[in-house]
Amino acid sequence: MTNRPLPVPDETSAPYWAACAEHVLKLPRCSSCGEFTLPPDVTCPHCQSPEPDFTFEPVSGRGKVRTWTVIRHSFLSGFEVPFLLVDVELDDQPHIRMVGRLVDGPETPLRIGDRVAVAFEDLSSDIAVPAFTLAGAS
Amino acid sequence: MSGLFAAHNRIAVVGYAHSDVVRRTAEPLGITALRTARAAIEDAGLTPEQIDGFTSSSLLPSSGEHEAQDGISVVTSDWLAKHLGGHAHYVAGFQGIGQLTGSLSLAISTLASGAADYVLLHRALHNPAGKYNDNPMTEFAGDQQWSAPQGFFGALPAIAMVCNEYCQRYGADRESLADLVVEARKNGARLPWSYWHDKPLTREAYLAEPPINDPMSRLDCDIPVQGVGVFILTTAERARDLPNKPVYISGQGFGYPLHHRIPLHWTLDEMMEAGEGLARRLWESSGLGPGDIDTAQVYDAFSPFVYIWLEVLGFCPVGEAHRFVRDGGIDSDIPESLGALSGGGAIGNGRLHGLPQLLECYLQLSGRAGERQRPTTNAVMSYSAPHFGGAVVLTNDPV
Ligand SMILES: [Zn+2]
Repeated sequence: MTNRPLPVPDETSAPYWAACAEHVLKLPRCSSCGEFTLPPDVTCPHCQSPEPDFTFEPVSGRGKVRTWTVIRHSFLSGFEVPFLLVDVELDDQPHIRMVGRLVDGPETPLRIGDRVAVAFEDLSSDIAVPAFTLAGAS
Repeated sequence: MSGLFAAHNRIAVVGYAHSDVVRRTAEPLGITALRTARAAIEDAGLTPEQIDGFTSSSLLPSSGEHEAQDGISVVTSDWLAKHLGGHAHYVAGFQGIGQLTGSLSLAISTLASGAADYVLLHRALHNPAGKYNDNPMTEFAGDQQWSAPQGFFGALPAIAMVCNEYCQRYGADRESLADLVVEARKNGARLPWSYWHDKPLTREAYLAEPPINDPMSRLDCDIPVQGVGVFILTTAERARDLPNKPVYISGQGFGYPLHHRIPLHWTLDEMMEAGEGLARRLWESSGLGPGDIDTAQVYDAFSPFVYIWLEVLGFCPVGEAHRFVRDGGIDSDIPESLGALSGGGAIGNGRLHGLPQLLECYLQLSGRAGERQRPTTNAVMSYSAPHFGGAVVLTNDPV
């Protein structure tokens, strides 16, 4: 399907990648304070709980473009250039930022604050990676 | 920490040496470091037997697949102390945020606490054969599973996004970036030891270079090189008996990430937010403010860092640095400017992780800057980004 590098799910990330494969964005949520965190850590970065027992819960995946860049040379193999990366602040919780490719293409005109929604790129039969697409004024 | 720095003007830089900056050489990095260390010790009027403390950081900053070998591709203080001979009894590597400012702070603490009398601080950078950052991995485990599968890899994409956010928010563009890259290369071209010696860059050549991560091109990034810088530090009392004019450490401030994010996801807001605290601690600890500074050598491994540091340190209002630079605020040929890249910086020398900044502050303050000499009493240098580095105020007029 692709020669792009694949993530290797582990015990802290397996539910995230399993949900992505179903094209659902689920983020780790601390069971002590209820805050989302990306990526999960051994403690909760918000409440410092040493037993965050993260649960993976669906989020809206909607947000606004904080900034972007067009990658014209990739340091990684397997990517066709150019492609566009967006830095997205999710609506679901302040300060949660995700970086993903904009599937609308590298020439897409963008402005700071543009609305986007999560989309998924299937890299193999069981791995999909979150990306974004322009969502209009929703 | 608040108030005046406990070691305020009690520790001084008393000598230095640096190697030529070359793109690549077959000489093991340790040999370059040893030669430079001996030259610095001699410059300070000391002998290797008198150096009893060593501090440094030794990170090899590439994202390619390169194995670090001590004495070959990295040089730790441990390696240098052992191979220099002498009588080291305090040898420490800095492991933390902000390599050069961190290891300088370690040298200061070592002397202020009396753990050593003369400390050799060094930084040695190597340019490994093969591609510096290209990485052929087909899968990513651990932290990088959260970033690399999207094509978000290495430092540049995040810095390019920070740069774009700055440009979009404040109206800067590649014409603005040209002002500072051309200034860095102008100054680097005047340095006999620089990789870019005699190779200034024209505005036209800058603008003709295609971006690799918009809006940044290769020319907005420092070039990987091999080079070593060494500084000798001691206490103010001991410095009085040594041949060079001492340059005192007045204060220091450090920044640390505020948010937990995927690897290398640096943001403009975080840099500015962390920078506020860094600047407050820096100025409080030194007893000085931006208005007291004659020369500011700000970190420029990536061109937009210059804007961020000028604003964080209070040399111009937030959002105005690109106009400040355009209007000559850092032009080394204007005597009253900050001369913020007068030592060439990283863009005008090569990837030396803060050495050009510290070197230029030292040379200007010790009166050893030759044709570049500017009247300088107080100077500031910065390293890395404000949420991931530090800044140091130096003076030749301790009060
Ligand atoms: Zn929590």
